[in-house]
Amino acid sequence: MKYKIYFFSLGTVSSFFGLMSVLAVLHGKDFIVGIIGFPSDIFRGGWGGVILLFSGLFYIHGIKKLEDIHHRAELFIGSAMIWIVGGSEILRIFLESIPGEEGWFNSFENFLSHYFPPYHPSILLLPFSLVILLMERYYGEKHSEKDSRRYKRREG
Amino acid sequence: MEKLSLEQKWELIDKIVKKTISYGTYRHTIKDALGELTVRPLTGIPIAIAVLYGFWSFFTSFSAFITDGFMVKIFDGYWLPWLQKNFPGGLGNWFYSLMVDVGHKENGILVNSDSCLESFGVLTSGLFVPIGIVLPAILIFYLMMTILEDSGYLPRLAVLLDNIMHKIGLHGYAIVPTILGFGCNVPAVHATRILETKKQRILMMTLVAIFIPCGAQLSVMQNVVPEYTGAIILYLLFGYFTFGYILNKIIPGRSPEMLIDIPELMIPSARNVLKKLWIRVSSFLISAIPLVMLGSLLVGIFYLSGVIDFLSRIFEPVFVTWFGVPKETSAPLVAAFLRKDLAVAQLKGLADAGVIENVYQMISSVVLVSMYFPCLATFIMILKEGGRDFVKAILALFAAVFLYGGLLHLIWIIMGVG
Repeated sequence: MKYKIYFFSLGTVSSFFGLMSVLAVLHGKDFIVGIIGFPSDIFRGGWGGVILLFSGLFYIHGIKKLEDIHHRAELFIGSAMIWIVGGSEILRIFLESIPGEEGWFNSFENFLSHYFPPYHPSILLLPFSLVILLMERYYGEKHSEKDSRRYKRREG
Repeated sequence: MEKLSLEQKWELIDKIVKKTISYGTYRHTIKDALGELTVRPLTGIPIAIAVLYGFWSFFTSFSAFITDGFMVKIFDGYWLPWLQKNFPGGLGNWFYSLMVDVGHKENGILVNSDSCLESFGVLTSGLFVPIGIVLPAILIFYLMMTILEDSGYLPRLAVLLDNIMHKIGLHGYAIVPTILGFGCNVPAVHATRILETKKQRILMMTLVAIFIPCGAQLSVMQNVVPEYTGAIILYLLFGYFTFGYILNKIIPGRSPEMLIDIPELMIPSARNVLKKLWIRVSSFLISAIPLVMLGSLLVGIFYLSGVIDFLSRIFEPVFVTWFGVPKETSAPLVAAFLRKDLAVAQLKGLADAGVIENVYQMISSVVLVSMYFPCLATFIMILKEGGRDFVKAILALFAAVFLYGGLLHLIWIIMGVG
């Protein structure tokens, strides 16, 4: 039950962030709320926002029946989508922080300045999405025998 | 040797089976369930959208890191000034112009170029484009492509897109040459061999040659017109499907179904990925660098001898009236047959000089460079792979370019900006 509530909340937040990103693109202006920045460019805001929206939908649909491996796979996909967008963002920030404007490498201050907020919403969702690994460990052990039998019945 | 009877053969088979095959309960794992989700349209399409986002994001971040972060500094900060200082001849000398720098005029005086992209010499642009811009892009593109292939995702994408591809007379596996084309059109044309019929191969070659910008063009586009790259790619992809649909109706022949065995999802082996990456990148280096340098040399010779000006004057009415681009763009468009990437850079120069007046003319010009004729290497490959169907493929290509380029001009006219 606790996982259901957790992933329902995460799904709702992820969908909301996705919608906000898409709205920022339609509005043509970046939204900054606290440490979260919703970019207005078509790639990070639009495409990335749509993925966050889908991720939330996968979470919300997947929690219906956590004992079923197929539903848990939907949750897994929801998390993987956040990992893709968040991972891409972290990689972008990291790669942009290394080269300097004039010299080969950035000064230490400039290097650090790339890591200050606002952050793309996917970066904030990233640590929360990792709970799927814990959940899969719990359900994987609990239901592995059941999954095998169910699958055999389906095949039969 | 004694011959075995039928019964003895079956006994032997039973013994081998008992020794080699073990039976147990099949356990349906999360990996299997994930694999199933990737091929169902309702879940597979959002997954594909996310995977392609990761692909594109990794591609742009990494290529910008290498090119803008380091290659530009090496070539523009050290290599170009060193050549400008030490290469014999100097500005205005024909050999120097060909090899190092054609220069540009400021207040009527010929001055040195500031960057390798603008100098158009064999040793400057001819080396900077393939090594500084294209190589990082190709390296990361093929790395991502190999990971998708070896993880078992690419065949799933083929299954997922099978229905859509059938609408344009192809099948799901046509996604392989299409994605390869974003790296380099040459292996993409070669990969059309996986399609079964002549009709499918002509269709695929035409679509790849016109509507799929290669890694060189993409990276130069990203470099010189980053704000329009997304819009240009969307327009080209729209053309890919529209013309695919039309050509499918016109070109006679069969479009058979696809039958593939989908492998399970797995983590790719680093050794295999590196091996494949090396094979692909080395073959690109061997085939592309000499061609790009040769292209630079020919473009330089044609410019200096006036051939490009002559051809530009002939084609000018078509470019200006039909495609709606300024007459000055006809020279880069003619030169694009030899060097598409360099042509995009030249267009950027024209835009900076105010010749290309607005966004719409810039988009039209870059779209035309991308699609109006395959580069020399792809042209040779189509000739080799197309065989007797080469003429058909080129005719289909011309018809599509003429109509689609004109359509873009028509859209601008309707919008009141053309």
